[in-house]
Amino acid sequence: MNLQLTLAWRYLTGRVLRTTLTTFAVIFGVMVIFGMNIVLPTMMEGFKANMMAAGGVVDVTVTHVTTSAFPAEVAHKLDGIPSIRAYSASLERTVNLPPDFVDDDPARPDRISAVNLVGVEPEAARSLQVYLIDEPGRFLQAGDTNAAVISQSLADAWGVRLGETISLPSVDGLTELTIVGILPPRTRPGNEEVLVTLAQAQAMTGQPGQINTIRIALTSVDESARAEAVAAIESALGSDYQIGSLDPGSEMFASLKLGQAAFNMFGVLALFMGGFIIFNTFRTVVAERRRDIGMLRALGATRRTITGAILTEGLVQGVLGSLIGLALGYLLGALVVRLAAEPMKSFLNINMGRPVISPALVITSLLLGVGVTLLSTLLPARNASCVTPMDALRPSVAEVEYKRRAGASFIAGVVMIGIALIGLVSGNMGLIALGGLLFLGGLILVAPLLLRPIAWAFGHLLAWFYARQGIADLAQGNLTRQPGRVTVTASATLIGLAIIVALGGMTTSLTGMMGDLLHKTLGSDYLFIPPSIAVWNSDMGASPQFAARLREVEGVEAVTSLRFAAGAVNGQAVSVLALDPQTYPQVAGLDFTEGNEAEAYAALASGRNMIVNGAFLATLGVKVGETVEMTTPNGPRPYTIVAEAMDLLNAKVVTVYISHANLAADFGRTDDVFIMLNLKPGVALEDVDAQIKAIAADYPQFTVMAGKKYIDDMMQYMNAVWAVMFFLLIFLSIPSLIAMMNTLAINVIERTREIGMVRAVGATRKQVHRMVVAEALLLAAVGTAFGILAGLYLGYVIVSGIGVMFPVAYQFPLAGVLAGLAVGLLFGALAAVIPARQAAQLQVVEALRYE
Amino acid sequence: MSLIQTENLTKIYGKGEAAVTALDHVNIAVNEGEFVAVMGPSGCGKSTLLHLIGGLDRPTEGNVRIEGVALAEMDDDTLTKLRRRKIGFVFQFFNLIPVLTAVENAALPVMLDGVKPAEAKKRAAEWLTRFGLGDRLAARPDQLSGGQQQRVAIARALVSEPALILADEPTGNLDTRSGDEIASLLRDVTKKYGRTVVMVTHDPRIAAYADRIIFLKDGKVVDETYLERKNKDNAQVLTNVMERLSD
Repeated sequence: MNLQLTLAWRYLTGRVLRTTLTTFAVIFGVMVIFGMNIVLPTMMEGFKANMMAAGGVVDVTVTHVTTSAFPAEVAHKLDGIPSIRAYSASLERTVNLPPDFVDDDPARPDRISAVNLVGVEPEAARSLQVYLIDEPGRFLQAGDTNAAVISQSLADAWGVRLGETISLPSVDGLTELTIVGILPPRTRPGNEEVLVTLAQAQAMTGQPGQINTIRIALTSVDESARAEAVAAIESALGSDYQIGSLDPGSEMFASLKLGQAAFNMFGVLALFMGGFIIFNTFRTVVAERRRDIGMLRALGATRRTITGAILTEGLVQGVLGSLIGLALGYLLGALVVRLAAEPMKSFLNINMGRPVISPALVITSLLLGVGVTLLSTLLPARNASCVTPMDALRPSVAEVEYKRRAGASFIAGVVMIGIALIGLVSGNMGLIALGGLLFLGGLILVAPLLLRPIAWAFGHLLAWFYARQGIADLAQGNLTRQPGRVTVTASATLIGLAIIVALGGMTTSLTGMMGDLLHKTLGSDYLFIPPSIAVWNSDMGASPQFAARLREVEGVEAVTSLRFAAGAVNGQAVSVLALDPQTYPQVAGLDFTEGNEAEAYAALASGRNMIVNGAFLATLGVKVGETVEMTTPNGPRPYTIVAEAMDLLNAKVVTVYISHANLAADFGRTDDVFIMLNLKPGVALEDVDAQIKAIAADYPQFTVMAGKKYIDDMMQYMNAVWAVMFFLLIFLSIPSLIAMMNTLAINVIERTREIGMVRAVGATRKQVHRMVVAEALLLAAVGTAFGILAGLYLGYVIVSGIGVMFPVAYQFPLAGVLAGLAVGLLFGALAAVIPARQAAQLQVVEALRYE
Repeated sequence: MSLIQTENLTKIYGKGEAAVTALDHVNIAVNEGEFVAVMGPSGCGKSTLLHLIGGLDRPTEGNVRIEGVALAEMDDDTLTKLRRRKIGFVFQFFNLIPVLTAVENAALPVMLDGVKPAEAKKRAAEWLTRFGLGDRLAARPDQLSGGQQQRVAIARALVSEPALILADEPTGNLDTRSGDEIASLLRDVTKKYGRTVVMVTHDPRIAAYADRIIFLKDGKVVDETYLERKNKDNAQVLTNVMERLSD
C-alpha cells in the first residue's frame, strides 16, 4: 500500500497546521492517560519500599488483624506446636524522623527520613536468625538498657561508631541509645532498622507489656508441612490474629486510586473529544478533496483503495499522536512525580523513586490512542469511498440537510436524559455517575433538533447587532442547514465546556468546604504536627507528659490531643482516633453532618460510643444509632455510633473518633500523635513562643506551627493544585477550538460559489467576513449553551459523589459558568479568524468559476 | 470492429416532470487510432456522452461497448479496473493531486494497478520527457503553468498504455497558445502513438485538430464531418456549423 502511505504522508505534511492541531487532540488524550497512570504505581512503589517486610529466614509472620499491639503473653500460646522450630516476639514501629534529624544538614537531601524501631528478646531473635556482628561489637543481651544494634550503612549516615550514641524520638522525649554492635550494610530496600531490647522498645513507644509481631521459623518448609503449621498457629491464636500482615497502606491506596480514576476519566474524555475532532477533520478533508478523490476513482482507484488511503492517514496520525503522547505523558508523569515528591515526603514520609512504567500501560495507551483515531476516521473514510468519479467533474453544490432527524435518535436522547434525571433524584451514587454519561450522550442525540430554535434565538440576538445587513439571517440559515455537522462540532465544544463548568462547580464547592473545615478543625493557635499526618501508625507519639508540660506554660488556655490506634470493624481496617471530649471542643472541633455536637461529645465520655466519618458509613453501610463490633487487641468490643462528623486530616480515611479513656482501655495506647494548643485571650504568640518551642525541642518528632500559618500553607498548597487543574482544563478546551475552525472551514469551502454569488450581487468583503464570524458565534453559542447545561449537571454529580465521603454542599459555580460562556464565545470568534478571512478574500470571478 | 460502440445510449436526469434528457438514443462508433471531437452547444449532452463512454456514469438506457464488451454488465470494481487499464482521462481542470509531484501524478494509474513505484515513476518520466517536461519531474502542480499541468494530465492518461483517451474540454482552462499546444499533442497521441482520442470541446479552433467531428444537439447526433487536414478553413467550417446549431 505504498501509494496510500505516500498520499497520506503528503496530505498530512501538506497541511502542517491542521495536522498538528488534530494530532494534538490525540497526543493530549494519550498523554493524560499515560502520564497519570505512571504516577500512582510510582507512589505505590515508594510506599511499598517503605513498608517492605524484613524478610530473612522467617517462614511465618503473625500480627493482630488490626495491626495494633497485643499483650506479650499471646506468644506463649505457640509453645509446644511441634512444627515450629523457633519464634521471636517483637514490638516494631516505623519512626518517622523530622527533617535533617540524622544528617543535621538542611542543604543535603535526607537519606534517612524514617527508621524501624525493632524491639526483640535477644535470645529468641538469635534463635531465629543469625546476626553477623564484627568484633568487638556484640548483639543485644537481655537486660540491656539504652543499647542498640544498627547497620554499618545507618551508622555511616549518622556519622557514629561503635560505643557512641544516637538519639531517637520516643513518647518521653529524646532517648539516647548506645551502639553496642554494628551489622553489615543494609542492602534491601525499605527503612533501616534500629534493634533494641523488647523492654526498651515498649518503654520508648509507651506500650509496656505489648508486642505487635511474632516471627516464626518452621521445622520444614515444604508446602504441606507449612499449611499444617499455619493451621496449627491459627487455631492456637484465634481469629483475631493473622498470618502475614495486613497492608497498612490500604486506605492510602484507596484514595490514591480514586485520584487515578478521576484522571483516567479526564483522559478518556479528552480522547473522546479527540475522536470528535478527528472525525470532524476527516469530514472536512473528504469534503475538500472530493475532486481529488473523484479523479482517483476516474483513474481506476477502487473504493477500497480510497477507504484505505483515508484510513492510512488516520493511522499515521493515530500512531504519531500516540507515540508523541507517550513521550509527553512520560514527561508529565515524571514531572508530577517530581512535584509530588516533596509533599509526599513531608506529609506522608514516602520516598518516591523513578517513574514506574508497565508494558501493559504502554500497550493500552497506544491501543486507545490509535483505536480512537481509526474509529473516528472510519465513517469519513467510508463516505470518501462513496465519492463517484463524476464528483471530480461535476460542480459540487453544497448539500442541504433538510431532513429532520427527529425519529429514533431524538427519542433515545430524551429517554437517556430522563434516566439520568431519575438517577440524580434516586441518590444512588452508581446511578448518578452513570447518569452523568447518559446525560452527555442524550444531549448529543437531542441536539440536532434543538439546534434550530437555539440558532434562531441567538440569530435574533446577532441580527440586533448587525442591523439591516441581512447577514445574521444568512449565517443562521447556513448553520441550520447542516444540523448533523454542526452538532458534531458543537459536541466537541460542549464536552470541553461541560468539563470546565463541572470542575468549576467542584472547585467552588470544595474550596469553600476546605476553608471552612480548616478553620473549624485546625483553627487552634498552635499545632504540633507529626512527620506523617495521614499514616498515623508510623508516627512516634508523645506521652501525656508532653501535653501536661505545655498546659503549665503561662498564657496557655487549653491543650488537646489526638491519639491513634488501628482497629477493624467487620473486617474493614479503620483508623481509631481518640480525643478528649472535654478539651477537644474548646480548642478545635469536628465538623458535624449528623447528630448533636454537644450530646455527641458527652456520649463519648460516657461509654463505648463513637463518632464516625462519612467514609466509615459509606464503606460499612451502617447508620448513626447502630452498634457495631470493634476488633481491638483485647478482643471485640461493642461501640455505638452517636454522630457523623470529621476533621480535615482524616477526611479521606475510614475513621472513628472515641475518647482517650476508651482508647487506653481497649487498645492500650496513651501516646499523643497530634496536639493542638490555644492561648488565653489577649496573649500574643511572641510571649509564649520561646517557652513552647523549648518544651517541643524534647519531642523533635513534632513540627510546631502556628495554626494560622498551617492554614495558610494548606490553602496555598490547595490553590496550587487547582491552578494545575485549570491549566489542564485550558489544554482540554483547545481541541474544541480546532473542531470549530474545521467546521467553519468546510462551510466556507463548500460554499465558495455561493460566497462568490453573494459578493457578485453586492456584498462587501466586510459583510462576507461578518457572515462567517456570525456563523462562528452562533456555532459557539450552541455548543456553549449545551456545554454549560451538561457542565452544571456533571458538576452536581461530582459534588454528590464527593459528598458521600465529605459533607460538601453544591454551590452554583457562577464563576465557572461565566468563564465557560466567555471561553466559548471567545473561541467562536477565534475559530472564525482564518475561515472568515479566506471567505472575504475570495475573488468574485474565481469563486463563481470554482467547481 | 470498432473500439467504441454505443447502442441507443440514453441518459435522463431527474424524474417525472423535472426529468431532463441529456442523451437521447445515441448510436456512434469510434475506430481505433481515430481522433474524434464531440461538439455542440452548452447542455447538448457532450460531456454526458464522454462520461458514459468512460464508465464514469451509468446510462438510463442503452449500452456502451469497449472492444465489444458491454459496460452495463460490469460491477463497480470491474469497471474501475477497465478504466484503469483501457481508458485514460484528461479533464478541463487538470485534476492533479496537489500534494504529489508531476512524476507521481503521472504515475498514479499504474501505481493504482499495483506496479512497483520505481517502475511506475520510470514509465511516467518517459511520457513526461516526451512531452517536454523532463526537467520538471519533481515539480508540484502549483509550480507548473496551466499548459504544463495539462501535459502532466495527458502523460497520466497515457502511462497505463490505454487504447482510449477521453478528453473533456482539455483546453477550456488554457490560453490560446497553450490550447493549441495541447490540441496538437492530442493529435500526436493518435498519429504518433496510435491511441484513440475522443475529445469534447466547444472551440472550433481546437476541434479542427481532429479527424472527425460529431455534432450533438439536445442529446441527439445531428451532424458528422470528416476533416481532411487541420487548417483555418476547417475551423471556419466548424464555426458555421456551430452557429447553425445554436439557432
